Amino acid sequence: MAEGDFRQNPGCAQFDRELMDYLEGEARPFVSTHARECAFCSVLLADLEQVRFSVRQLPLQEPSPVVWANLHARLEQEGVFRPSVRGWGWWESLRALARPAPLGALSSLALLGVMFIATPSALQLPETAASASSAPQAAVVASASFPEDRELARMTQDLEDTFRANEGLLAPDTRATYEKGLTSLDDSIRECKDSLRQKPDNTLAQDYLLTAYTRKAEILTSALEFQGR
Amino acid sequence: MRNRRSGARMGEDGRGSGTVMSLLLVPAGLLLAAGFGVHSKTIETTGTPRITLTNLAGQVVVRGWDKPQVHVEYTVHSPRVEVDTELMPPSGAADKVRFTTHVLDPLVSASEQGADYTLDIPAGSSVEIRNPQGSVQIEKVQAYAAVESVGGRIVVNDFSGHLIARTVGGDIEILRPSGRVEAYSITGNLHFVSAATSKLRASSTSGRILYEGDFAEGGDYILSAYSGDMDIVCPRSSSFELRAKTVRGKLDNSLFLTPKRKASSPAYSGNSLLGTHNTGRASVELTSFSGTIRVRPQ
Repeated sequence: MAEGDFRQNPGCAQFDRELMDYLEGEARPFVSTHARECAFCSVLLADLEQVRFSVRQLPLQEPSPVVWANLHARLEQEGVFRPSVRGWGWWESLRALARPAPLGALSSLALLGVMFIATPSALQLPETAASASSAPQAAVVASASFPEDRELARMTQDLEDTFRANEGLLAPDTRATYEKGLTSLDDSIRECKDSLRQKPDNTLAQDYLLTAYTRKAEILTSALEFQGR
Repeated sequence: MRNRRSGARMGEDGRGSGTVMSLLLVPAGLLLAAGFGVHSKTIETTGTPRITLTNLAGQVVVRGWDKPQVHVEYTVHSPRVEVDTELMPPSGAADKVRFTTHVLDPLVSASEQGADYTLDIPAGSSVEIRNPQGSVQIEKVQAYAAVESVGGRIVVNDFSGHLIARTVGGDIEILRPSGRVEAYSITGNLHFVSAATSKLRASSTSGRILYEGDFAEGGDYILSAYSGDMDIVCPRSSSFELRAKTVRGKLDNSLFLTPKRKASSPAYSGNSLLGTHNTGRASVELTSFSGTIRVRPQ
């Protein structure tokens, strides 16, 4: 088929409409059926799947030490970055972005995660619901509610709301496994927050909190993909 | 089996007219006892094909061999489940092979939604497997493998290359890997034996992590648990630089370490341990939030 005919052929047009959903893992049997019948679309599909597969195989490259050093120095210079930052858990979790997923939510988590890591001072913002304390400074620290935390919580809550609305689609065993995982992650989020209220500069607790949010977003995304099948 | 290369259903899949007649004639009990039959197929491939398998439940066993062929045997759990095979390119040695388990009837019970697979594949294959409620076992694959499960157990033996294993609740066991290994679980346990890896990344939120064996020279090992315990059992002759940290947990080390600096770092408020065992040829980083980290000799 000449390339110029591509958009005018109804089959090719439907192929075009369904292609992205198919590549994201949705059941679109027409795409593979049509690709067997149309040489042009067959080549297109093969190329895209080759690209997708190759992307998945790309090694996860961390920024060079020079980049990190410059970033570190700059943040320290601007006074927004106090303790040493370790982001291994975060970089590992970014691999999840290679999977078909609600990329917007995970991308936003990534951005917020960077903000969270880079601005530990935000941990000390006061909160209206701060518990009463004899030491004012302790009360501020103990509140430990900060914009990034609320945004992370809101995003994962959005994913969880969607999951809850459709959890009946999952088999009981599968749902129980997800529930257990979510409970474990919720426990860790709560404990990390408690720890950070007491010691906001604890970078390891910060890492764990961020990792817990990220893992929660990942498994909710996984569950939503599973529900969609 | 529906073969995407020809678009026709293969005769050996048990879904042709012969099978329909069998379903009508053979007593149901006998059919169930036979597990709906074992279906098999051999596919000519390149030496380094990309193989994707998407299943729902059941056992998946993948073994590397030295032939440029994929040999698959599978048994569906229900006649209302089928397996599709897609091959690319359409003729000649396939560079891409995809197996997909489909549920034909949405009312089929969860226990019937899967298939058991055994695949022999070229050792240089790149493999992606998703088996949400089933187990996966991989042996002697040498290139790339990405394995995901929700509640199933993942076992990988003698792998070299780049391995990524993820579960929500299933245990992960990796024996004698080399290359790069990543293993993540939320509530599952992680078990590594003799990981001669250049890089090992592992984390579990509430599962236990057990590492047994030596560390590879120049290897970089990062293991993280949240509330689960972590046990490192290695030979006294092993050589590594250790960085262990915990927020609320305990550190229990039975190996002699040459301290690098004082045990408590000003930048860190929990317990930490930094030191070199023997000449420090590998880098080992262990972190935990509230679990116990134990390092002891074999």
